[in-house]
Amino acid sequence: MADREALRLPGLGNLLLTGVRPLIAIGLAFLVGAVMILAAGANPLEAYAALLSGALVGVASISNTAVRMAPLLLGGLGIGLGFKAGVLNVGIEGQIYAGGAAAAAIGLIPLPVPAWIHVTLAVLAGFLGGALWGFIPAYLRAYRNVNEIVTTLMMNYVGIYFVSFLVHTGPMAEKDAFYPMSPPLMPSSHLPILIKGTSLHTGIVMALVLAIVAHFVLQYTPFGFRTRMVGANPDAARYAGLNVGRQIFLVMLVSAGFGGLAGAGEVLGLKLRLFDFFASGVGYDSIAVALMAAGNPLGIILSAVFFGGLKAGANRMQIVVGIETHMASVIQALAVLFVIAIGFTGQARARRKKEKQEPTIQRGGAYD
Amino acid sequence: MISLSVFYDWLAASVRLAAPLMIVGVGGSYTERSGVFNIGMEGMMLTGALVSVAVSALNGNVLLAALCSMLAGFLMALGHAYLTVTRRANQIVSGAAINLFALGLTNLLNARLFDGPRTRVALYPILAPEPLREIPILGQVFFSQPVIVWVAFLMPFIAAWVMYRTSWGLNIRAVGEHSRAVATAGLSVVQLRYAGVLLSGIFAGLGGSALALSDLGYFVPNMTAGRGFIVLAALVVGRWNPIVVAAASLLFGAGDALQLRVQTFGSIIPYQFLVMVPYILTIAVLAGVVGKTSYPKEAGKAYNPEEE
Repeated sequence: MADREALRLPGLGNLLLTGVRPLIAIGLAFLVGAVMILAAGANPLEAYAALLSGALVGVASISNTAVRMAPLLLGGLGIGLGFKAGVLNVGIEGQIYAGGAAAAAIGLIPLPVPAWIHVTLAVLAGFLGGALWGFIPAYLRAYRNVNEIVTTLMMNYVGIYFVSFLVHTGPMAEKDAFYPMSPPLMPSSHLPILIKGTSLHTGIVMALVLAIVAHFVLQYTPFGFRTRMVGANPDAARYAGLNVGRQIFLVMLVSAGFGGLAGAGEVLGLKLRLFDFFASGVGYDSIAVALMAAGNPLGIILSAVFFGGLKAGANRMQIVVGIETHMASVIQALAVLFVIAIGFTGQARARRKKEKQEPTIQRGGAYD
Repeated sequence: MISLSVFYDWLAASVRLAAPLMIVGVGGSYTERSGVFNIGMEGMMLTGALVSVAVSALNGNVLLAALCSMLAGFLMALGHAYLTVTRRANQIVSGAAINLFALGLTNLLNARLFDGPRTRVALYPILAPEPLREIPILGQVFFSQPVIVWVAFLMPFIAAWVMYRTSWGLNIRAVGEHSRAVATAGLSVVQLRYAGVLLSGIFAGLGGSALALSDLGYFVPNMTAGRGFIVLAALVVGRWNPIVVAAASLLFGAGDALQLRVQTFGSIIPYQFLVMVPYILTIAVLAGVVGKTSYPKEAGKAYNPEEE
């Protein structure tokens, strides 16, 4: 992928045109899901009703959705930011582990400071841990022109097994634990709970605020403008005197930092220890979250609500109609597959329309 | 000599663990050479494993089980090819979605198909006659292995011969480097890339069956556990040459067998660091720290005939 053309992430940009397409894709995914539920011997309407109520009806359901949504939103923002600069950070999963480990490391130390300082330091450590995990792929991509997809993908496993080492036999392991994990974190490092009796923690507030900040940064600041310019046309950006490598490097670090924040939120807000395999695929789910919104921060909020709700509601679906929670992954995957399939149709239509208006465009040739 | 028998046992396990990787690596070389990433091989492998166990459980015919696992991989790869080649969707996003789909689907089916007590299904047979298996070292390491391991050793050579000695193989290599030139020569870029992707699905499915029906005989949720990604690593280290990829797979299989033994017997080095080796090695190779390599030029990039 030495060719700079490849940076434009074929098949993604056109999704910006409309918000309707993801909705159609989600509808189709639920339709196929309904057929599968029917084949499994359950009533799809009953199943989806349970799913919906488990996601949105009542305080417990809503807080459950919000808790599930927080890491998806942060991870989605990280990937979405990359989209804007034309890079695909597939390494959110590993960055979640690195950020979670860094946050836990601070959270385990009994610091003689007020709680709000302790938790802030732990969250910042999460960001830095994620960014550190993104450093090598970012450097290689920005300055050595090494494809970021494979390097970030490989870093995922390094991160997963590094955390595994930390909590098995490493410096953060709890002695004689029934499952590999760290000792409990200091209470002063916990993210405060928003509603008593639920697990709804302030991580979701942090995620929502950052989504809005990301929107404004992308739209209204020089940094955002440079990012979008690099993503839209790196050659033009370079020609205009922009330091393309530096911009990509910074964007990838921030993107990885968002992954780290997602990990910090999980560890400091929900798990309250560092567990082996604690993220279990959230980083890959984040790709779907960002994709549905074409990388736009405000759209990613909606997208994260949807996927978070899907995960939260799937539990009730399993209890009520006996369809396992795995159905949620299937629906999520189908939604992504449909959206990238439909995405191109729109592109083709736009092109045909353009050709109608400009009949002089030459077509054909040996490869048409 | 106890230490020697442990050593031979480790060699045998290395070969057995490497076999699925070697098989998947064959298809992986073709798809990436043709210019299409398929990170969905992980999911295709997983589906292949489930299908092979199901078919073997139903009628005990292992050959049919192998064919059905290949068919499953083929069908999923057809989806990937349609999305990425015909519709020019992002290859990584499509592959990631296929993995998620396969994980969810196999978990659902596993709960429904194999809900009783776990029974072992018919396995790939060991074909070598008894005398051959008694040969020192080679008998244990190679001749006592199920037939699919032999297939795994044979396929990379056939695949390399096709890739480097036939004109079709040249076309596959060319289409990942410079698709426009291939098109100008009057060849179909789309057909060649479909072929590459479909081969990766077929071999991923077969590799999944090798994982399930070599000595395990039942399905375990997410039993591939990232092996599809190890193949991606082997592809880089092996520079997309099926034989070198197979050699890298053997190395990674040996590492896997070693870390399993380290987990059991314990050692100074935590086993997690051994597990990390393939991934770190891949980054080092891509970075040019160890040797020098670069991806096929157009890997990851959709071919659009109407683009200049």
